[in-house]
Amino acid sequence: MDSALKNALIEIVGEDNVTDQLIDMVSYSYDSSEHSHRPDCAVWPQNTQQVSQVLKFANENNLSVIPRGAGTGLSGMCVPIKGGIVLDLNRMNQIISISIEDRIAIVQPGVVYADLEKALAPYGFLFPPDPGSGSVCTLGGNVATNAGGVKGAKYGTTRDYVLGLEVVLADGGIMRTGARTMKCVSGFDLTKLMVGSEGMLGVVTEITLKINPKPTARSTTVASFPDLENAGRAVTQIMYSGIIPSVLEIMDRYTIHCINQNTDLNLPEVDAMLLIETDGYTKEETDYQMAKVIEVLKANNPDQIKQAADDAEAASLWKGRKSAYAVLARIKTHFVLEDVTVPMGNIAALLKGIGRLAEKYDLQIATFGHAGDGNLHPQILYDGYNPDEVHRTEKAVAELFQLTIELNGTLTGEHGIGLAKAPFMHLEHDQNAMAMMRAVKKAFDPKNILNPGKMALEVN
Amino acid sequence: MEAKYDFERKFREDILKCSRCGYCQAVCPAFKATLRPALNARGKMLLLKEVMEEKLELTEDLIETMFQCTTCAGCYENCPSKVNVPEIIKQARKDMVSLGTCHPAFTGMNKVLQEKTNIYAEDELPDFDKERGGKAEYVYFIGCVGTFREEEASEAVIALLDRTDTDYTLIEEVCCSGVLEDVGFSINTRLANHNVEAIMETGCKGIITGCPKCFLTFKNNEAYAPLREAGIEIIHITQFINRLDFKGAHTDAKITYHDPCDLGRHCGIYEDPRRTISRVAANFVEMEHHHASSLCCGAGGGVRGAYAKNSIAMAKNRLKEALDCGAEVLVTECNSCVHNLSNAKLRSQKIKIMNTTQFINELMEEME
Repeated sequence: MDSALKNALIEIVGEDNVTDQLIDMVSYSYDSSEHSHRPDCAVWPQNTQQVSQVLKFANENNLSVIPRGAGTGLSGMCVPIKGGIVLDLNRMNQIISISIEDRIAIVQPGVVYADLEKALAPYGFLFPPDPGSGSVCTLGGNVATNAGGVKGAKYGTTRDYVLGLEVVLADGGIMRTGARTMKCVSGFDLTKLMVGSEGMLGVVTEITLKINPKPTARSTTVASFPDLENAGRAVTQIMYSGIIPSVLEIMDRYTIHCINQNTDLNLPEVDAMLLIETDGYTKEETDYQMAKVIEVLKANNPDQIKQAADDAEAASLWKGRKSAYAVLARIKTHFVLEDVTVPMGNIAALLKGIGRLAEKYDLQIATFGHAGDGNLHPQILYDGYNPDEVHRTEKAVAELFQLTIELNGTLTGEHGIGLAKAPFMHLEHDQNAMAMMRAVKKAFDPKNILNPGKMALEVN
Repeated sequence: MEAKYDFERKFREDILKCSRCGYCQAVCPAFKATLRPALNARGKMLLLKEVMEEKLELTEDLIETMFQCTTCAGCYENCPSKVNVPEIIKQARKDMVSLGTCHPAFTGMNKVLQEKTNIYAEDELPDFDKERGGKAEYVYFIGCVGTFREEEASEAVIALLDRTDTDYTLIEEVCCSGVLEDVGFSINTRLANHNVEAIMETGCKGIITGCPKCFLTFKNNEAYAPLREAGIEIIHITQFINRLDFKGAHTDAKITYHDPCDLGRHCGIYEDPRRTISRVAANFVEMEHHHASSLCCGAGGGVRGAYAKNSIAMAKNRLKEALDCGAEVLVTECNSCVHNLSNAKLRSQKIKIMNTTQFINELMEEME
C-alpha cells in the first residue's frame, strides 16, 4: 500500500486498525461465492466519526471503499473487485439500547445477529428475519443485503423491521433516516432505499430495528409427496386455507437422496417433502392452525404425514431440512447456491424446470427452500476444476434465471445481486428501471467509490 | 499439477470443500479475541487454497495466522463441510518448518526439547515428596505444565491418590513431546523412549496422565506404541477418579465445568468429569458453550507461548461465560486450561479456578 495512503488512514483510525498484510488481504478477497479479488488495504473503524473521515478521504482521493460485515454473502457483494479499502465494521459491535416500551433495539452494524437474539431473549422478544448464517452474520450485513430466512412468509425480511438508520455518505457526510416510531410517512423513504443497497449508496453505522414478541408455542408437521404436482398444489391450497404457516419448507427428491446417503435419517425418497410449522402463544392456537394445514395436505395424496407430539419430535422432524446445506456442501468441491423466487403458485413449475435443466446439462442439482414465500435454493454441485462442468453449470444458471423471470419471479429473494447476478439484471429490470437505479447511485455516490462494479450499474 | 507440499497431498479435497460460509467465526477463539477474519479457520483455508493454486508461497507472511491456531477443533465441530482444520493446520506447519519458515517460539521449543527434558528447560524435577520409579500398579504421569507451573494442582492429585489408597508411583518423567507434532515438528524419540522405558520398568498396569495432551500422545503416537502393545491402560485422571471413593465429600457451591479441547473434542470425554462432579456437587451449571461446542481457553496449539496477549484475550472470553452463568467455582481437568484461565482472572473476580481433582481433594481435606 502507498505509504501516504497508509499514514492518512492511520491518522484516522490508529495504527492497530489499519492493515495491508497479505493474510488480511487474502481473507478480504472472498465471501461465500466463487468470486474473489484482493483489496489494497483494510481498516477497522471504531465509530461513526472514523467511518466519516475514511470516506471523506477516499472520496477526495478517488479510492474505492468496500463495507464488510461477516462476509457470509453468496453473491460476491463484498468482494473488492476493483481493489480499494475494505471497511470491516466488525469492531463497531455495541448494542446501544433496547426499549421494550417502544419495541425497538438500536445497534451498531457489527453486532452479530445471534448476539442481539441473546440480548432480546430475556425480554421474550426477537428480531425475526432469522438468516441461516445467524450465528455469525452481522446486522449491518443484514441491512445492506436485506437478509431473509426460513420465516419470511409470515415475518418478512430485514427491510420490514428497519425503522431508521445513521448512514455515512460517500463524501463523509452523516445522514439520519427514518424515525424511532412504528409509523412514519415523513418524506421519501430513504431508510428502505438503503436496505438491500449492497453497500453502494452509503455505510450504515447505526440501525434502529423494530422487534417482535417471541411466539412461545408451535406445531410442526412433515409430509411427503410421491408426486411433485401434488406438493405444489398443497402449497397453493394452504394459502387458500387462511393460515400463514411460520415455516413452509420444501425439499426435492435429489436433496432427500443426498441426505439419506450421508446421514442415518432414512427419509422417504419421494418427489417432494414439506416441513410446516405454525406458531403462536398457546398450543391450542398452533394446533388449530396445523389442523387446517393437515386437512389440505391430506387432500393432495401424500405418502406420509407426521405431526410432532412435542419439542423433541419437532426437532427430529427438522433434522432433515437442517442438514441439507451441510450434506450438500460436502458432496463436490464446488457449488452454487441460488435463491430464485417465484409467486407461490409457480413453485411446482419452477421445480420441474430445474429438473429439466439438471437433465439437459447433466448436473447434480438439489433444490430446497422456502415454499411459503416462493423462494427456492437450487444448489448445483460441480467440480470447479473441470472446465466442461463449470461451463455446463454456467449455462444452467443462465437458463435458471430466464425460467424464473418467465414464471414472474425474481433473480434473488435473499442473497442479493452483487457480482454473481449482475449479468442478469437486464432480464428482470427494464431500461427505465436500470436508468433510475443508475441515477440514484450517481446522486448518492457521484464518484462511484462505494463498492463499485456491482449490480450492473456501471455503463460501459 | 503435481502437489508441492504434504498438506496438499493429504488434504487437497478437504481444503477445497471449505465453502467459505464463515460459520467457523462463531466458535473460533482467535477470531473472537481479535475480530480479525484472517485468523479464523476460513482465513487459513483460503491461504492454503491460494498456495495450492500457486498464487501464494508458504512464506513468513503466513506465520501470524498459520501459527496462531489453538487447534481446539471448534471450527471442525461447527463446519457444515466437515473440514478438519486442526489436522490441516498441523500438516501445513510441518511443511512451513521444512522450508525454514516457523514462528521463533516453536523453533526455540524444538531446540529446547532436543537439548533438555522439558519445555521450560528446567534442569531438575521437583520432588513432590514422592519416590520416583518404584514398582506400582499405576504410574501417575504429571506432564510439563503440572510439574513446573501448576505444582499445586499436581500436589493435589498426589494427595487425592494417597487419600484413596491408590497404588501408584511417579517416574523420572520427561516431556512427552506430543506438542511438537502440533507446532510443525515431530515427536522427539529420545524423550519418548526415555518415558517408555521408565514406565515399563515400574511394571505398572496403567498410566494415569494429568495432562490431556500427554494422554492423547500416549494413546495415538507411534513412539508410544510399545506401551499399548504391552497392554498398559492409558487413562486420564478425570476418568480414573471416577473409580475412587470420595468418602462422602460434598459441596453446595455453584460449580461449572470447562471442557478442555484435548479431552472433549479430541477424545470425546465429556461425561466422566460431569459424573464425578455430580457425586460431590448438587449445584452444577453449564456455561453457554459446553460439551462439543465448548470454547477454547486459548492455551493450545502453542498459542500461549507465541501469542500470549491474544491467548489471554481468549481465556478472558471463556472466563466471562463462567462468570455469566453465576458459577463460584470453575473446574476443569487440564493444567494448561487452569493456568491460562487463572492468568486471565482479575483480582476482583472471585471465581475459583482449579482442576476437579484439586477441588475434590480440598473437600476431602476439609472433612478430615
